[in-house]
Amino acid sequence: MVISEQGYVHWQGTFVERRFPWWPITRLGIRLAFKRKFFKFVFSISLLPAVMFSTGVYISERLDDFQFMLKGPDRLLEVNPVFFKSYFTSEPLLFLMVMIMVLAGAGLICDDLKYNSLQLYFSRPLRKRDYVLGKMATVFFFLLILTLVPGLLFVLLKLIFAGSFKFLANYPWIPVSVIAFSLLVTLFFAFYTLLVSSLSKNRRYVSILLFLIYIFSNVFFGIFYSIFHNPYFCLLSIQCDIQQVGAAFFRQSPQYDVPWIYSFLVLAAICCLSAFVLKRKIRGVEVVK
Amino acid sequence: MTAVIQTKNLSKWYGNVLGLSDVSLEVEQGVTGLLGPNGAGKSTFLKLITGQIKPSIGHVAIQGQDVWNNYPLFGRIGFCPEQDAFYDEMTGWEFMTSLLSLYSFSRADVQSRAEKALDFVELDKDKDRLIRGYSRGMRQRLKLAQAVAHDPEIIILDEPLNGLDPLSKRKVIRLIKDYKEAGKTVIVSSHVLPEIEALTRTIILLHQGKILARGDIHYIRDLIDKHPHMISVKCSDPRRLASSLVGEPSVLNIQFGPGPDTVVFETQDRDKFFGLIPRLIVDHRIDVEEITSPDDNLQAVFDYLVGK
Repeated sequence: MVISEQGYVHWQGTFVERRFPWWPITRLGIRLAFKRKFFKFVFSISLLPAVMFSTGVYISERLDDFQFMLKGPDRLLEVNPVFFKSYFTSEPLLFLMVMIMVLAGAGLICDDLKYNSLQLYFSRPLRKRDYVLGKMATVFFFLLILTLVPGLLFVLLKLIFAGSFKFLANYPWIPVSVIAFSLLVTLFFAFYTLLVSSLSKNRRYVSILLFLIYIFSNVFFGIFYSIFHNPYFCLLSIQCDIQQVGAAFFRQSPQYDVPWIYSFLVLAAICCLSAFVLKRKIRGVEVVK
Repeated sequence: MTAVIQTKNLSKWYGNVLGLSDVSLEVEQGVTGLLGPNGAGKSTFLKLITGQIKPSIGHVAIQGQDVWNNYPLFGRIGFCPEQDAFYDEMTGWEFMTSLLSLYSFSRADVQSRAEKALDFVELDKDKDRLIRGYSRGMRQRLKLAQAVAHDPEIIILDEPLNGLDPLSKRKVIRLIKDYKEAGKTVIVSSHVLPEIEALTRTIILLHQGKILARGDIHYIRDLIDKHPHMISVKCSDPRRLASSLVGEPSVLNIQFGPGPDTVVFETQDRDKFFGLIPRLIVDHRIDVEEITSPDDNLQAVFDYLVGK
């Protein structure tokens, strides 16, 4: 046996765990998303609804100055729960969120599967839950910029432009609803994105799937609704489910005569399915030759 | 010497497929070679001891601590996988820093360690290039760099010499030997016997998920010597060469073919045979194109061991 120059030294130190072990995963996801030129464009576009609604908040406080432009529909520019519900459940915003997911979220897990990166992650001091959390946080980063940040900004702008706290006095629950609904819709999209991303090693296929599931769930609802005239078919549509829940969160009557809790349960079921699939899919690379 | 890695009745099934069966062993400090043909269970064994997959039966311990779900322990292990595991759209530098940031290093430490590791594998000049543009050898060296950048105590290398040119191979072999000198534990898997031979004399032979043999590499060599060696000579006059060797007691069998200019000798004493050949070639003025040993490889050793 060869005698080593230096005997084996047992490691005596204490391993210091990272406070947020998921953060490097999130940072990498954000960095890789911004490397894509088309993503930057879409992300900029997705901020437009927030800019428009912010302008709306300003105009609502200066209606007299803008009467010549409005000529009647000034009621639309009233900042109230309907205003918030309109923003959070608007079809363009939801569509742009899906586009963000297609561009920034599709590769989150599928690229790791494609490039066999899981074995590199899991041979390091990183728990599977930290990995999933890191991936989810990437989705949260992008979507909260489109939901929570504008939502709270609208409230803030309303208070600044109005110069009083009357708005908060009238609707004290609005900030809570903004936070709760933003987190809910972001959590759902995070689970939805990671679920689809874990199903394939091909990012293009995942991107198409993310888009098609969202669109076709809506198309199927439209087809069945037009045939059977049963509002319960709205549960098939992801977009309608989010809109139904959104209406409830902002204390508005839902668009379809279906209890909002059903839509909530559908979204929760998709999240549970995602958690189940992720648990099975995310594991050390198994070698079968 | 105390065992650094211990496995007890370690077994792993992938559904109905047996990956590893009842492996109990102790790995000590220094370099240990893990040998076996493709599909022998080498990668499974390495993934089990790095805690990436859960054993179906048995357990693995590193320095007395169970590996499965013991995340802090993973900070002491460096793992270089067999397959490529890169994001092609990242640069070598981004790849290194993103992986190092998973440890508890400060930002400055991450950068200095990444720099040192890339310098170590001579990729410092190419660090800002996209991995997509790296050659196979560069990718292999980058994989090695990520395995050692955090200065682990235990280094697990799955086929680290695959795809490397001779110069890079030499450098990696030197590097592994340096780690041995530094008192670290290195496990290197390979299906190429000379690669392991260049690294260590301590080997573990795996076959069909089971340990076939363990110990000093010369044991395997001796094992070869118990069987007739096949030596194939491709030359200008194979029949003349054969006739000059037919009376040699160490030659047990002579066969012509597969080509018209090839003769295959079976000998019990390879060293003596190789001592005779140069003189005969010169005496009979035979032009020799190639001398090979078709059974001087790991597969042949395995065949002998499993009694094929």
